[in-house]
Amino acid sequence: MLSTIKINAEREGALTLLKESCHNAPYKVIHYGSRHLHEHLELIMMSSSPGIMDGDEIDIEVNVHEHAQLKLFTQSFSKLHPMETGALQRTNVQVKKGGIYKFIPHPITPFANSIFRTVNEIHLDENANLIWGDIIASGRVHSGESFQFTRLHSITKVYRGKKLVLFDNQLLEPGRQPFDSILFYERYTHQATLIYVSPYAAELKTELDEILTSQYDEFSFGFTQCGPNAIMIRAMGDEGVMLYDWLSAMGQLCWEFTVHKQEEEQAELETEQAAEPKAEKAEPAAKKQTKRTKKEVTAKGRAKKAKAIPEAAAEIELEEVLAEAVIEK
Amino acid sequence: MQPLLTLLQINDSMFPIGSFTHSYGLESYVSKGIVKDTPSARVYANNMLRHSIYYNDAAFLQKAWALLEAKKSVREFQKLDEMITALKAPAEIRDASKKLAIRFLKLTQALHPVKRCSNYLAKIQEGQLHGHYAVAFAMYAHASGITLKDALLAFYYNSLNGIVTNCAKLVPIGQGDAQKILFDLQATIKELVDEQENMEEEMVGLCCIGQEIRCMQHEKQYSRLYIS
Repeated sequence: MLSTIKINAEREGALTLLKESCHNAPYKVIHYGSRHLHEHLELIMMSSSPGIMDGDEIDIEVNVHEHAQLKLFTQSFSKLHPMETGALQRTNVQVKKGGIYKFIPHPITPFANSIFRTVNEIHLDENANLIWGDIIASGRVHSGESFQFTRLHSITKVYRGKKLVLFDNQLLEPGRQPFDSILFYERYTHQATLIYVSPYAAELKTELDEILTSQYDEFSFGFTQCGPNAIMIRAMGDEGVMLYDWLSAMGQLCWEFTVHKQEEEQAELETEQAAEPKAEKAEPAAKKQTKRTKKEVTAKGRAKKAKAIPEAAAEIELEEVLAEAVIEK
Repeated sequence: MQPLLTLLQINDSMFPIGSFTHSYGLESYVSKGIVKDTPSARVYANNMLRHSIYYNDAAFLQKAWALLEAKKSVREFQKLDEMITALKAPAEIRDASKKLAIRFLKLTQALHPVKRCSNYLAKIQEGQLHGHYAVAFAMYAHASGITLKDALLAFYYNSLNGIVTNCAKLVPIGQGDAQKILFDLQATIKELVDEQENMEEEMVGLCCIGQEIRCMQHEKQYSRLYIS
C-alpha cells in the first residue's frame, strides 16, 4: 500500500503554522495538543494500521520554511510485521534558513522475518537546524524475539547546501553480522542515534562535554562532533522506552539551545540596529551591557581558539618526532 | 621503481606516518574489559576485518582505485573524499584518517613525487578536501605499478598487523598469540579481497554501532596511550 505524508511549516510573525499538508490512510497528521499553547508548531503523526506491512511504501515529505520551527512526534513504536518482499519508507526533508526541525520517532521494532528499508534525505540551508533521532530495537525482546528479522537497512544523508555532511549507513542483517559480538550490540538489544546539525552545534558540544561526564548503568553512550557544525550521540541499551525518553530529553536540550541562541542573535541584531541611528543618545544601558558582554565572550572564544591552535600543532610535531624516532631505530 | 619493494616499504608498520599512535577504539574495548584475552582479541580482529575495514577503509581504497583506473576528474575524487568524511562520524577516527593521509603524502612525495598525490596534499592543506589515508594510499600505490589485489592484500595485512600489535601491547596478549592471529586470518583477508570489487554501492560505509560508540567514548577516556 502506498501512503503519502506531506507537511509544510511556515512562519507567520511569531507563529509557525501548518500549511498545505496532506496525508492518506492509514496515516494522519494532526496538531499535538492545543495549537495555541506555543508559538512553534507541534504535530503528531498517527496511524490506524497496527504497523508496517509487507509491500507498504511510505513517502514522507517535510518542508520547514524560513525561520519556521517544527516538532514532529510519532504516536507509538513503529512495528514492522513479518514480510516476504519487504517495506520501504522514503523521507525527504528540507529545512530553510533559520528553520528548526526536530524529529525523534519512537523506536522501530522489527518482528521476526520483517524486511525494511528506510532512506532519509535531509537538505539544510546554511543556517538551518536539524534535531534528528532514531532508535532500533532488536525485535519483540520480551517475547524472546531478538534479531529474528531478515533485514533492516536505514540510510540517512544530510546535506548542507549541496555538500554531503553526514552519512549514516546502518544495515542490520542477522544472517550477515554477529550482533551479540564485539563491534555490534555486545549484550544490548537497542541502539539509538541523535544528530544535531546547526550553526550552534560546536558550541553545544562544549556544553555537553561538561554535562555528559559519566556513564549510566542502564545504557552505554558516546558523543562526538561528527562535523564542523554537527554533533552525534549514539547509545546502546536494553529498554526502548528509556532510550526514547533520554534521546527526547537530549533533543529538547538541542531545541532550547537553538531557540536561545537564535533569540540572542536577534536581540544583538536589534541592539545594533537601534544603535546605528546616531540621534538616540539615551540608548538603554542594559542593551549596551549586552553588547559589551558579547564582545567579551567573543574575545574569550578567540583566546581559546588561539590557544588551541598551537596545542594542536604541538601534537602534530610530537607525533612527527615520535615517527622519526622510530625511523632511527 | 620496483612495485613490490615500494609496496613493502609504504605498507610497513614502521613506515613513519604515525599509524602506531591509533587504536581505533581498541583502547576503549580493553579498558572496559571486553577485549581481555587471546580469544576475545581474535574475535575483535576477525570482526574488524569482516565488518569494519571491509565496508569502510578497504572499500574506500577500492573506490579511489576505480576512479584512478577510469581517469575520473578531480570532482569525482572530491565527492569520494566528502562521502568518507560524512561517514566517519567519530571525530578521532576522522582525524586519524586525515593525519595519516597528510603524513603519507608528504613522505611519499619526498621519495618519488606523483602529481595526483601532490595535488591531493595541496587541496587538503588548503582546506578544500578533508583528506583520507585509504585514498592517499590508493593514489600512490596505483602510480607505483602495484596491482589492486596486492594493494588490498597489503592494506588488510597492515591493518590487521596494527590490530594484533596493539592487542599485544594493550590487553596484553603474547607476541606468539598475536602472530598466530595474524597468520590464521590470511584466508579471511584473501576472501575479502576477492569479494571487494563486487560490493554493492549501498554497502559502502556500513556502520558498526558498538565500535562507533566505543570510539566516541575514547574521547573521554581518563588515561589513554593512543590518540584514537
